[in-house]
Amino acid sequence: MVENMNMQSSKNEIGGQQKAITPKMRARKVNVYYGENHALKDINLDINPNEVTALIGPSGCGKSTFLRSLNRMNDIIDICRVEGTITLDGEDINNKSIDVVQLRARIGMVFQKPNPFPKSIYDNIAYGPRIHGIANNKHELDEIVHSSLKKAGLWNEVHDRLDASGTSLSGGQQQRLCIARTIAIEPEVILMDEPCSALDPIATAVIEELIDELKNRYAIVIVTHSMQQAARISQKTAFFHLGKLMEHGDTATIFTNPTHQKTRDYITGRYG
Amino acid sequence: MTHSHIVSSFDEDLNRLRTKIVTMANLVAKQFSDAEKALVSKDLKLAKIVRENDKQVDQLEQEIEKSSIELIAMRSPMADDLREIISAIKISNALERIGDYAKNLSKRVIVLNETNKFDANYAVLSQMVNLINIMNKDVIDAYVNKSAEKAISVWTRDIVVDNLYDTLFREMLTYMMENPELITPATHLLFVAKNIERAGDHLTNIAELIYYIVEGIPLELNRPKGDKSSEVNTEDLD
Repeated sequence: MVENMNMQSSKNEIGGQQKAITPKMRARKVNVYYGENHALKDINLDINPNEVTALIGPSGCGKSTFLRSLNRMNDIIDICRVEGTITLDGEDINNKSIDVVQLRARIGMVFQKPNPFPKSIYDNIAYGPRIHGIANNKHELDEIVHSSLKKAGLWNEVHDRLDASGTSLSGGQQQRLCIARTIAIEPEVILMDEPCSALDPIATAVIEELIDELKNRYAIVIVTHSMQQAARISQKTAFFHLGKLMEHGDTATIFTNPTHQKTRDYITGRYG
Repeated sequence: MTHSHIVSSFDEDLNRLRTKIVTMANLVAKQFSDAEKALVSKDLKLAKIVRENDKQVDQLEQEIEKSSIELIAMRSPMADDLREIISAIKISNALERIGDYAKNLSKRVIVLNETNKFDANYAVLSQMVNLINIMNKDVIDAYVNKSAEKAISVWTRDIVVDNLYDTLFREMLTYMMENPELITPATHLLFVAKNIERAGDHLTNIAELIYYIVEGIPLELNRPKGDKSSEVNTEDLD
């Protein structure tokens, strides 16, 4: 029997051996308030490298709020207050000395609706490396654009029209463009907020395949409303309910034998 | 404790599946008691009916498999729903095997009827069938009520059937040693007894599946086993 790994240091099965893993990100006693609204309550969660962590739960449960806390997207909301600690490689991301722009370069984000810049495909990718000074010359920039599009599985479809507008692509292609844009600046963690909810099943499958490949290089956290998607692509699943993390563990365990009644009711589609 | 699905037709589908399992279990129980009746009273007509009715058992197994596959494809079941549907396939497989044993019993009525030399004591066989049918009823009760406790109680009770089988095995060996003419009927009766004993094993498998449906983990206790016939040597018999 595989035990649920609630709040324990995570282990990964490699060749039948259990190997301890140091989490990439760590949330401890995270509380988030929007004014009077207590949106997240005492969240403790580890995000492992080279794994996909899916955040699931009904609307308003706090999963997107938690995702946004991971790269300080909540900073832009005036009434939002974050308490507790969130670390990236052991470093507190809410520390005053942290440069938020640099932080978001290390923790990239892909949104629900594909949002390419109204620029060429090439410039969409090149934008980040340019402002972060990642490329030293045109040749290096070309190389980044090429490899990012390749990693995002878009190169073959757009290599002959890099000057075309990013917005001229199909929805699925646009989303892969946004993923390519995210990985162009070599992040360590990729946050995804329902990245497939605006896509058809084929485009969704392509993105899911991509996420599976990307996890070999990054830690991925994905918010999804599709339980089947969470089951298909994630190794760890966290179930949020009314601002609390109800249950967290191996995806296979969560979907076959959840511990909490609330989790079970949610994933089986029952009234809670 | 158990809430309804938001999509109510999912509950209706699941209930239909459950009803089919119960129907199948009841049919298999009837097959067993009819086969036993046919055997004891040497009723060839009833034996034939049992053999024919086995088709209904097979038909139900197919229906349960089909419904389960459709439920998986169309409802994407999770957690206990998933466990229940996968288990429904396995329970129907086990019931089908038990049905086959009843059919096998009824087949042997013909040959046992032809060998009148042997006036066997059917009391132990009847007792075994009776126990099997009580286990069947109780396991289905555990299934309907999602009771792990009741499932375990059926699971542990199989030892009684095993012990009766063991007794019968020794008895038949003794008959055969005393009178070689009885080898044919006694061997047939041994197969009958073995079939009934195997039915008990399948019922314990069903009990294990019910435990898994309810608890989400396999039943990992050591089940008491009483069938020691594999160790019996004629030299040991008095």
